[in-house]
Amino acid sequence: MQISMENIHKAFGTNQVLEGVDMEIKHGEVHALMGENGAGKSTLMKILTGLHQKDEGTVTIDGEEKTFANPKEAEQFGIAFIHQELNVWPDLTVLENLFINKEPVTKFGLIQTKKMKAIASEQFEKLAVSIPLHKEAGQCSVGEQQMIEIAKALMTDAKVIIMDEPSAALTDREIEKLFDVIRSLKASGVSIVYISHRMEEIFTICDRITVMRDGQTVDTTPIPETSFDDVVRKMVGRELTDRFPERTPDPGEAVLEVKGLGRKGVFQDVNFNARAGEIVGVAGLMGAGRTEIMRTLFGLDGKYDGEIFVNGQKVDVKNPSQAVKLGLGFITEDRKGEGLVLDFPIKDNIALPSLRSFTKNSLIQEKEEQEFVEMLIKRLTVKTESSSTEAKNLSGGNQQKVVIAKWIGIGPKVLILDEPTRGVDVGAKREIYQLMNELTDRGVAIIMVSSELPEVLGMSDRVLVVHEGTIAGELHRDEADQEKIMTLATGGQVNG
Amino acid sequence: MRKLRLLLMMSLVLIFLSACSLQPPEWAKPSSGDGEGDVKVGLSVSTLNNPFFVSMKEGVEQEAEAQGMEVVVVDAQNDAAKQVNDVEDLIQQGVDVLLINPTDSAAISTAVQSANSLGIPVVTLDRSAEKGEVATLVSSDNEKGGEIAGEYIVEQVGEGAKVAELEGVPGASATRERGAGFHNIADEKLDVVAKQTANFDRTEGLTTMENMLQGNPEIEAVFAHNDEMALGAYQAIQSSGRDILVVGFDGNDDAMSSIRDGNLSATVAQQPIEIGKLAVQAGDDVLQGKEVEDTIPVPLKLVTEENVDE
Amino acid sequence: MDSAIKGAKQVGNITQKLGPFVGLLALIVVVSIFNSSFLEPLNLLNLLRQVAINALIAYGMTFVILTGGIDLSVGSVLALSSALMAGMMVSGLDPILAIIIGCLLGAVMGAVNGLLITKGKMAPFIATLATMTMFRGLTLVYTDGNPITGLGDSYAFQLFGRGYFLGIPVPAITMFLAFAVLWVILHKTPFGRKTYAIGGNEKAALISGINVSRVKVMVYSLAGLLSALAGAILVSRLDSAQPTAGEAYELDAIAAVVLGGTSLSGGRGLIIGTLIGALIIGTLNNGLNLLGVSSFFQMVVKGVVIIIAVLIDRKKAA
Repeated sequence: MQISMENIHKAFGTNQVLEGVDMEIKHGEVHALMGENGAGKSTLMKILTGLHQKDEGTVTIDGEEKTFANPKEAEQFGIAFIHQELNVWPDLTVLENLFINKEPVTKFGLIQTKKMKAIASEQFEKLAVSIPLHKEAGQCSVGEQQMIEIAKALMTDAKVIIMDEPSAALTDREIEKLFDVIRSLKASGVSIVYISHRMEEIFTICDRITVMRDGQTVDTTPIPETSFDDVVRKMVGRELTDRFPERTPDPGEAVLEVKGLGRKGVFQDVNFNARAGEIVGVAGLMGAGRTEIMRTLFGLDGKYDGEIFVNGQKVDVKNPSQAVKLGLGFITEDRKGEGLVLDFPIKDNIALPSLRSFTKNSLIQEKEEQEFVEMLIKRLTVKTESSSTEAKNLSGGNQQKVVIAKWIGIGPKVLILDEPTRGVDVGAKREIYQLMNELTDRGVAIIMVSSELPEVLGMSDRVLVVHEGTIAGELHRDEADQEKIMTLATGGQVNG
Repeated sequence: MRKLRLLLMMSLVLIFLSACSLQPPEWAKPSSGDGEGDVKVGLSVSTLNNPFFVSMKEGVEQEAEAQGMEVVVVDAQNDAAKQVNDVEDLIQQGVDVLLINPTDSAAISTAVQSANSLGIPVVTLDRSAEKGEVATLVSSDNEKGGEIAGEYIVEQVGEGAKVAELEGVPGASATRERGAGFHNIADEKLDVVAKQTANFDRTEGLTTMENMLQGNPEIEAVFAHNDEMALGAYQAIQSSGRDILVVGFDGNDDAMSSIRDGNLSATVAQQPIEIGKLAVQAGDDVLQGKEVEDTIPVPLKLVTEENVDE
Repeated sequence: MDSAIKGAKQVGNITQKLGPFVGLLALIVVVSIFNSSFLEPLNLLNLLRQVAINALIAYGMTFVILTGGIDLSVGSVLALSSALMAGMMVSGLDPILAIIIGCLLGAVMGAVNGLLITKGKMAPFIATLATMTMFRGLTLVYTDGNPITGLGDSYAFQLFGRGYFLGIPVPAITMFLAFAVLWVILHKTPFGRKTYAIGGNEKAALISGINVSRVKVMVYSLAGLLSALAGAILVSRLDSAQPTAGEAYELDAIAAVVLGGTSLSGGRGLIIGTLIGALIIGTLNNGLNLLGVSSFFQMVVKGVVIIIAVLIDRKKAA
C-alpha cells in the first residue's frame, strides 16, 4: 500500500494545528514521524485514520483519493492505529480484549471461544508474548497492555500500521521483540509509521524520517543521510523571537527545597530548589514524570519518599489544604478539569482558596469579597462583562487568568505552573508571561512545567530536565538551548 | 433595674406561652354544621396490601351504599405518620364520622384527639386507640372464637381428651382473648397437656409442635391461636405419621385450601366484611344520637370441610 | 444583539429559579378548582405541618446532593434517633433535653456516613444503602420491634409536633426557622460555598485547598441532624416512636430536592427550591387525598409529576 498526504490543513476552533503537511508512506517501509509535543503528529495520523476530518488537502492511497469517515472504515481498508493512550477494558480478559467488537460467532450468534484462543495464541507466539489469555487486562502491566494493543492491530491483517509511542511503556527486552516483529512485518510488505521521541530507536529501526514543526512538514530524509543533531535541529529550529518579555531576575533565598523526593514506580530521587523571585523551568518529554512530581509536591498524591522544605523548614504535605496553608499554589495542566469550577461565576472561582481572609463571624463579607475580586480581575485584565459571568463562558486565555488570579489572591510564596499557556492564544500568552515577571519581582518563586521549549527557554532562569522520573540535568539560563534540553530529555549526555 | 428586666423577661415568657396552643386557631376552624345532604363517612385503613383489610374496606363500602352514605377511603400503607396526615385530610373533607383502622394504637391517638377537638365521632376497627375518645371499637370477638374452637374439639374427640395449645405472641390482645375463650371450655371438658408459644409464626409452629409430640405422644387435638401456627403444626404432625385434629384461627387463604384438602380440620374464621358493615352501622347510630356499646364484637365463624366452599 | 442575548439569558435564569414556584402555584390552582376545601385555612395549616417532616429531611438532602452525593439512610436515621429520644423520655429525661441529645445522635449517624464515604472511599449510594439497613436494624433491636409509648405529657413536647404558635403549627415554624438558618449557611458562609464547589468540581475544590473530606463529613452530619429533628416532630405527632417510621422517606426527600431544580450531579441548586419541592409533594399528597384519588393511583400521579418536572428542567438546561 502506498499512501500520500498532501497539503493537509486542520484547525480546532481558532487553533490551527496543521498548516499544509505533506507526507508519503511507501510500501513496506518503516517511516519515522518526529516533532515536538504539539507539532501535529498525532493529529495528522488521526486524520489519516478517520478519527478527525481534514479541512483541506488530499489523501491518496494507491493512486486513488480516499477519505475515511471513521476509524472502523480505515481499519477495514487495512490501516491500523495503535494509540498512545491504551484502550484496554480492564475488567475483561486479555482474550476478550483482543477480539472486542470482532468476536467470531457461530451461526447461532454464540461466540467461538476456541477459535478466538487459537488465533490469539498464534499471534502471541509470533510476538513471543506469554501473557495468559484468561488474565484480566487490568492486572497486566502497562507493557503487557501495550503488547495486547499491538497484537490486536496485527490481527486485523493491516497493510499499514501506525504506532504512536509504542515503546514508551516497554522494557528493553520487549522493545527488542517489537523490533523483530516490525522487521518481519516489513519483510511481508507491511508499512509502519513509527512515532517516537526516542532517537536511538528511530535510528535502529526506521528507513526514512519525516520531521514536523508547528503544523508543517520540515522535510523527509532517508535515515542513513541524517544524524541525531540534524533531526533535533530540524525539530526545534526556529529562532527565539520577542514573544517573551525581558526578564531581570534577582533571586533571593531558597523558598522551596526538595530532597530525595520519590514515589515508587513514578519518579525517584528528585532534588531541586526554587528561590524567591526565580522562575525554574521544568522540561522533559510527555510521561517523563514532570507533572507527577508537581502533584506530589502539592500533596495531591498522598504519601511520598524524601523531604520537602519551605523557607528552610521541613514540612509534611499530605494534602492540598496543607500545601495552600504553606503558601503553595498549583495551576494544573487541566484547567477545566482541575483549575476551575466551570459552573461557578468568576468571582466564586477567584475567591475559593482565600475565603478565609474575608470571613468574619463565619459569614462571608460579600462587599470585601467583591472588591478583592474586582481588583484581581482588573490587575490581570480578565476580559469579562462582570465578575458574575460563569467561568465556562470565558475564552481559554481568560480562564487561565482567572486560575492565576485565584492563586495570586492567596499571596503565594511558591507558584507551580503546569503548562501555563496551553490552549491560550498568542496575545494572552504574553500577558501571562508578564504576569509571571510581575510575581517574581514581588518575590514569588515560580516553578513552570512546560512542553513548549521556546517558552521554557524564554522565561526560565534555570531549567530542570526530567527524564524517566529523574532530573537528568540542570541548565542555567545562559547555557540552556533547545538542543541541550532535547538531548537530556531523550536520555543523552551534555558535556560541560 | 434588675427587677425591671426580670419583669420584662417574665412577661415575654408569658406572652410567648399564651401564643402557644395545642388547638388550631379559631379563625382556621372549618365552618361546621352544614348538616344538609348525605352523610359522609371517612375510612382510614392501615393498609390495602392485605386481603383482610381489603375485605374490611369492602364491607364498609357495601353497608354505606345500602344506607345511602358517601365513603371516602384513604390508605396509610402501614405508615403511622401517613395515617395521621390521612385523618387530617379526611377531616378537611368534612366527613361526618371517622372510621379508623389504626396501624398502631399509640400513634393514632393524636389523630383521634384532633377529631375529638372538632367534634367528629370516631369508630375504630380491629384495633383501638390508646388515647382520645373513641365511640366504639368494632372487632372480632376473639374470646368467643376461642370458645367455638374448644367446643368443636370436644365435639370431635370427646370429653377429657388430651390436647395441646399453640399460643400467639405473649401479651398480645389476640393471644390473651383467644386463649381465655379456649380455656373457658377446655378447663372443664378437656385435658390441656401442653401449652407453648410459637409467636404466630409458621416455622415456630412446626418446631414447637415437633417438641410437643416428642413429649406427649398421646395428644389427640391441637388448637393454634392463628392459622400460620396451625399450618406449621400440621406439617409436624404429618411427618410424624400421626392423625391429630388441628384447629386454627383467622381463616386465611392457605388455611382454607388446607381444610379443603382435608388437612387442617377447622379454623375459626374472622369476618372482615362484617367488621366493616358493623362499623358503618355503629357510626350511623352515633350520628343519630343513639347509645352504642364501648366495644362491638363481630361474630366468628367456624369453617370445616363441610362449609369451606360457602 | 449582545444585550438581547443577555436579556434572553436573564429571562432564562429567572424562569429556572421560578420554575418550581410556578409549578406549585399551578398545582394549587388545579387542586382548589376541583375541591374548594383545599384553600380553607385549617387545611393550609395542616398542609404546612404535614410538609415539615419531609422538608427538614430534604434540606439536609439538598446539601448532600449539592456535593454530588446522595443519602439513602435519612429515613433510618430518623427512626433510630426518634426511638432513642423516646427511650430517653420514657426513662424520665426531660423531653426537650432528649430531643437535643437525639438530634446530636442523628448528627453522629450522619458523620458515620460521611466517614465511610471519605475515609472509606465508598460511593455515597453504597455507603448510605448499607447504613440505611444497619440503622433500621438497630432501631428494631432497640425497640424489639414494638412502638415506644408512654412518653409523658410535657406541654412543650406536645407543642413540638402538635401545637400552634400564634396560630401557626409549630412544625411549620420549625421548618421555616430551619430554612432561614440553612439559607444563611448555604449562601453566606464559606461552608456553603465549599459545598457548591465540591459538587461543581471536586478536583478543583481539592486543589484550591478545600479540605473536601471534612466538608463532606459535615454535610452528611447536617443531613443526619435534620433527619433526627424531623424524627422529633414525628415522635411528638404520633405520641410514640415507631420502629418502622421513616421508611422510604429518602425517596420523598430526593423527589423534593429534584423538583426544586437541584441537579443530582451536584454543584447547582437552591434550598428555596427544595422547600417549594417539598410543598409540591405535600400539596400532591394532601390534594389527591382531598380529591378522593385512590392511594394506588396517587403513587402513579406522584411519579408522573416528578418525571414531568425533570423533563422540563432538562429542556431548559439544553
